[in-house]
Amino acid sequence: MAGQIKFQNVNYVYHEDSPDAHQALKDINLTLTEGSFTAIIGHTGSGKSTLIQHINALIKPTSGEVSVGDYVITHKTTNKNLRPLRQKVGMVFQFPEKQIFEETVIKDIMFGPLNYGATEAEAKQAALNAMDLVGLPQQYQDQSPIDLSGGQMRRVAIAGVLAMNPSILILDEPTAGLDPRGHADIMALVARLHDEMGITIILVTHQMDDVVQYAEQVVVMSHGEITKQGSPQDIFADLKWVRQMQLTLPTSAEFAEQLKLAGFPLPSRPLTLTDLTNAILTELGANHG
Amino acid sequence: MDNFIFGRYLPGHSIIHQMSPQSKLLLCFYFVAIIFLANNVASYAVLAVLIIAAIILSGISIGFFIRGIRPLIWLIIFTVLLQVFFSSGGKVLWHWGPFSVSDLSLINGGYIFVRFLLIIMISTVLTLTTAPLAIADGVQTILRPLKKLHFPVDTLALMLSIALRFVPTLMDEMITIMNAQRSRGVDFGSGSLKHRIKVAVPLLIPLFTGAINHAEELSTAMEARGFTDSESRTKYRVYNWQLSDTIAWLIFIAVGIIVFLVRK
Amino acid sequence: MTNIVTVSHLSFEYPDEHVVFNDLSLNVKQGEWLAIIGQNGSGKSTLAKLMDGLLEPAGGQIMVSGLPVDEEHLGAVRNQIGMVFQNPDNQFVGATVEEDVAFGLENRQVSREQMGPIIEDSLKAVNMLDFRERIPANLSGGQKQRVAIAGIIAVRPQILILDEATSMLDPRGRKEIISLIQTLKQQEDLTVISITHDINEAAVADRIMLLNNGQLVLEDTPDKVLNNPELLKNDGLDVPFASQLAEQLRKAGVSLPDQYLNDEEVIKWLVKLNSKM
Repeated sequence: MAGQIKFQNVNYVYHEDSPDAHQALKDINLTLTEGSFTAIIGHTGSGKSTLIQHINALIKPTSGEVSVGDYVITHKTTNKNLRPLRQKVGMVFQFPEKQIFEETVIKDIMFGPLNYGATEAEAKQAALNAMDLVGLPQQYQDQSPIDLSGGQMRRVAIAGVLAMNPSILILDEPTAGLDPRGHADIMALVARLHDEMGITIILVTHQMDDVVQYAEQVVVMSHGEITKQGSPQDIFADLKWVRQMQLTLPTSAEFAEQLKLAGFPLPSRPLTLTDLTNAILTELGANHG
Repeated sequence: MDNFIFGRYLPGHSIIHQMSPQSKLLLCFYFVAIIFLANNVASYAVLAVLIIAAIILSGISIGFFIRGIRPLIWLIIFTVLLQVFFSSGGKVLWHWGPFSVSDLSLINGGYIFVRFLLIIMISTVLTLTTAPLAIADGVQTILRPLKKLHFPVDTLALMLSIALRFVPTLMDEMITIMNAQRSRGVDFGSGSLKHRIKVAVPLLIPLFTGAINHAEELSTAMEARGFTDSESRTKYRVYNWQLSDTIAWLIFIAVGIIVFLVRK
Repeated sequence: MTNIVTVSHLSFEYPDEHVVFNDLSLNVKQGEWLAIIGQNGSGKSTLAKLMDGLLEPAGGQIMVSGLPVDEEHLGAVRNQIGMVFQNPDNQFVGATVEEDVAFGLENRQVSREQMGPIIEDSLKAVNMLDFRERIPANLSGGQKQRVAIAGIIAVRPQILILDEATSMLDPRGRKEIISLIQTLKQQEDLTVISITHDINEAAVADRIMLLNNGQLVLEDTPDKVLNNPELLKNDGLDVPFASQLAEQLRKAGVSLPDQYLNDEEVIKWLVKLNSKM
């Protein structure tokens, strides 16, 4: 199985030996346990993408090491023998529908399994299972991907990653540009992959409501460093710090702040709608009782 | 790839950066012409001094510059070797089957090497110190007289400038698509020629689809912003002739005369 | 109020014979902020492109500021309308920020001397003056959209159409663009048409139209439309947060009025309820 993901003193310098060199990751130490759900947040250019690309060795550390289960990646790692690692670590890039290239849906989803040595029949079975997982009806299998809607194309792309049967899944803003229904569908799928199939999930996102709803732990990045790590409650506990890091609060927490400003006392910082409702009811109840 | 600097632009404020693109372009052509005029060690030495001075004035570190053009040197060496082995004339020093090496072909090979090197160096100085767009504008300025012949200079320049503007976007997309396909088990850059051609498909198709999308949406946006045809527009960006241009031209003309005098 | 855009008996279909509109009629009032909402595929973006003459209707007519949208009046119509599109990258024509703002001016043959101050003012208005020499590759999506807006106000149109202009931005970027448009609408006396599936963007409008399958399903003020959670959910849209909260509280027996309440109103009610004791 996958095992844990561990970063030890990882540094990464982009464009080394060139006048425009800059350090994209600084002394990263991070452990993600098997089966966990981690959200990585931070503004654009904070090093989130560089960090996640280390996990399947698309980028190798300039110094330090990354381990995924038994697999160790250092600056010496060559591009040979990376297949087992890359099969295990599924990667859904931003706007993943851009990677689709085959003339039919099923062929595109089969592409990954075939590359990893599956037979035609195995790949087809894996692809059909993946279509099922992402909720694409089987009658779409022989359609051309370009005839699908944006949300459906995104699901084809995600199915293309899931067909390889990864035990770790990394998603870089998987809902960007989708309408609310598309957003909800994709997040429900991610939650199911985690809860029901035990897949380790790493989600890069700007959507704090998704962070509090789904993630077990949160990693906050800024200028190539991890500035904070903890549960969603820990991360949003210090309001001053949140503002300073230019992070947004989850909608419920933001609403709670407005409520407090208007003179409605709330002792805690509710992060979800349910928390907020309960906190308001408690306060009203205490006053009435 | 990262070290490959041919065609890359390094922003800066050196005296070379500040020269107008049209004069840098013309000086480049002029320099290439004198390279072919040069035919002995002295004349090449003069040109080498000029180009080294230009690199120093551009504020780019010589080490970085040399590292950057190194990949191209192999290409030149290959061309030179072809020349050395297959040219005829002169005293034959060594031969094997169709290959032969003569004293004359060695000397010629040496000159070709130096010529190539000088051409690469001057064009690298040009691209390192001039934004791609400025080069496009330089071309437009130089071609302006052709407008009288109804040659669509402005359309061409606008096309070039938009193409250049999308280079970073498409590069980013290419890297992302490569990474996405790598994650799906594609091994780029190794294996047989047949394998390499095969793996280009999952890269090129998405890249072209993306480029077509950009083009379609961009043309809609341009139309919405009142674009009709490119020949009847005013122009915001203009590069004026600088003092440094005048000085550079004087130096280059002087060097041209010196080369003419010292050549055989 | 006079109508600045009138759409009458519009019909349109794509070359693949997918019918988008069949006899659609609607009006946009001068000076209003109209939100046109609906899920992807409802036809809302197509409508925006038809208004600007970027697509040609199969039947019916669109009038913009009294001009028919047709071949003959295309230039004049486009002088009236500025459009911000969804993908920030695909509308950035210039090599740098200031050159992109100049693009519309160059098309209208404004002289170079006049362009300088206009570009400066426009960039100031969207808070991007410090970025004037930046290249697009070094800007965030939200910053690129600001530049697009600057390029529009530089040519002083009457109508601003946001064609899902915030859908590719992060939540912060969205908020910033919306509040920027609110300010500019005042300053420049604009009519704003925002095509969106973001309910928060629709909530700031004066009027909302809900499109579904090319049909105008509903046309009303935000408090009426947003107070219809069933309808919104059916159309794949989100219910505003304040409505969701109010709904939860009502269910738990809190006596909130049974109508649409925005954030401020819910807060006001809760503070009032709490201090009643």
